[in-house]
Amino acid sequence: MRGKVAVIGVGMIKFGELFEKSLENMIQEAYLNCLKNVDKGIDPKEIKAAWFGQWSGGFIGQGAQSGQSLASMIGNRNIPCTRLENACPTGGDTFRHACLGVASGMYDVVLALGAEKMRDKPSAESLGGAGGGGGAETGNHPAWMIGQGGPAIQAMHATRQMYELGYTMEDFARVAVKNHHNGTFCPYAHYQFEITLERVLNSPVICWPLHLFDCCPQTDGAAAAIVCRADLAKKYTSKPVYVLASNVGVDHNQLWDRNSFIEQLSTVRAAKGAFQMAGIKPSDVDFAELHDCFTNTELMNAEDVGFVRKGEAARKLKDGEFDMHGSLPINPSGGLKAHGHPIAATGLGQIFELVTQLREEADKRQVKLKNGIGLQHNVGGPAFGVSAVNILSRSP
Amino acid sequence: MTQPAPASPVFWRFNPEVFRLIGIKCQDCGHISYPRTKICHECGSQKLEEYQLPKRGTIHTFCVNWAPPPTFEPPIMPVIVDLEGGGRYQGLMTEFGAPEDVKIGAKVEMVLRKLTTDRGLNVYGYKFRLVEE
Ligand SMILES: [Zn+2]
Repeated sequence: MRGKVAVIGVGMIKFGELFEKSLENMIQEAYLNCLKNVDKGIDPKEIKAAWFGQWSGGFIGQGAQSGQSLASMIGNRNIPCTRLENACPTGGDTFRHACLGVASGMYDVVLALGAEKMRDKPSAESLGGAGGGGGAETGNHPAWMIGQGGPAIQAMHATRQMYELGYTMEDFARVAVKNHHNGTFCPYAHYQFEITLERVLNSPVICWPLHLFDCCPQTDGAAAAIVCRADLAKKYTSKPVYVLASNVGVDHNQLWDRNSFIEQLSTVRAAKGAFQMAGIKPSDVDFAELHDCFTNTELMNAEDVGFVRKGEAARKLKDGEFDMHGSLPINPSGGLKAHGHPIAATGLGQIFELVTQLREEADKRQVKLKNGIGLQHNVGGPAFGVSAVNILSRSP
Repeated sequence: MTQPAPASPVFWRFNPEVFRLIGIKCQDCGHISYPRTKICHECGSQKLEEYQLPKRGTIHTFCVNWAPPPTFEPPIMPVIVDLEGGGRYQGLMTEFGAPEDVKIGAKVEMVLRKLTTDRGLNVYGYKFRLVEE
């Protein structure tokens, strides 16, 4: 992968409760923003293949889409286009497939786009689609109709993080405070307001030990990236960003098959493989967008990716090391906490942030670059058994 | 949200597992999994023996869900239980006084209870309750 693929343009729309926009409206806006972002210009017909990330087809009212939806909506039906679903890492994995398309030598220029309309249905139904329903997370086994979705799964990890690592609800809440602060500087974030530790801890308990503000919101959104052969990148942009690694890691499909609840092996495997592919160490990374669907998850991710040792993340956060101007900024965009989590758009929104930061175009939320390397991460699915990691760099 | 109706094939298919707790134990790596499977989820071995899960164990982790799906009365307490002799089972707590009584390491046992009502029919399975020491 390394040396073969570059990002030449990224585009997204402001995430939020976009009742006035259809799925097609969101897709077209993200796509047009992406084309505009290719600073030396691109003829849309140069795109020779596309991957369309969409997690939920039928259940949340956006209609079951397939490859032709994207191709038709962007007026480019002479190319192969595939819809891809891989749980919460759908966006990160859609990007990976676009990169594989180029790295294989099959195509010179391709599109990855993810879009999700979560808010047309009330939260309970939208969450039901997301596995909050009885059977959805458990292979429809009747004995396990136990009302378990993302919040319950992550809360059970949080309980164990408190027990084994001594983490506290304040430690979790600090993630929300940091990410909300970062989100105030990102014009694409769903939430752009500060919160205090007290406000997080006094918000309603959703799933003890997690409060309302420990959970990311449900959100509509779309985001896209155009990737091309690395040796052609300068034809399209004066600031190409190179793909060093693109990987997916998996673990068990059911919680009871897993061993540890303070670590997610899907992330460990995705990250380890990605670092190997890139030929770099975690300490070479300048900043990261980590999947903070819940606050405790961000702490676990920082450890599982390999940035800090298990049990160290809470203290590093408290010491300010993960702040926008800390030694390793985590979620300078505001993360899922501030952007929300329009599933398939999330990973590509993180890619948008990586590229924007690496081109030093992030304005008030610009992080300091040393090696010019950023990392994107998603984790999710039943038992949080699937994870995507992409590593991007200013130099090939 | 799709849930199987009680008369659906999934209930018939899983009958031995749901009520008799039949899983597998891997003869190569010792992994215990449930329900029955032909390939060990942990190591890929096909040398598996049927294994009946014990009904007692200790709580490995839990949470208190105050916002469960519509068919549940909050709060519900999902638990992951380390079963005696190995293996895990995932279920809901029942008959707890205050949520604070439920802790990691607490001893629990399975009891047959109504899990939910689906289209007017009761669905039964095991829940966990605290064991007095
Ligand atoms: Zn085995």
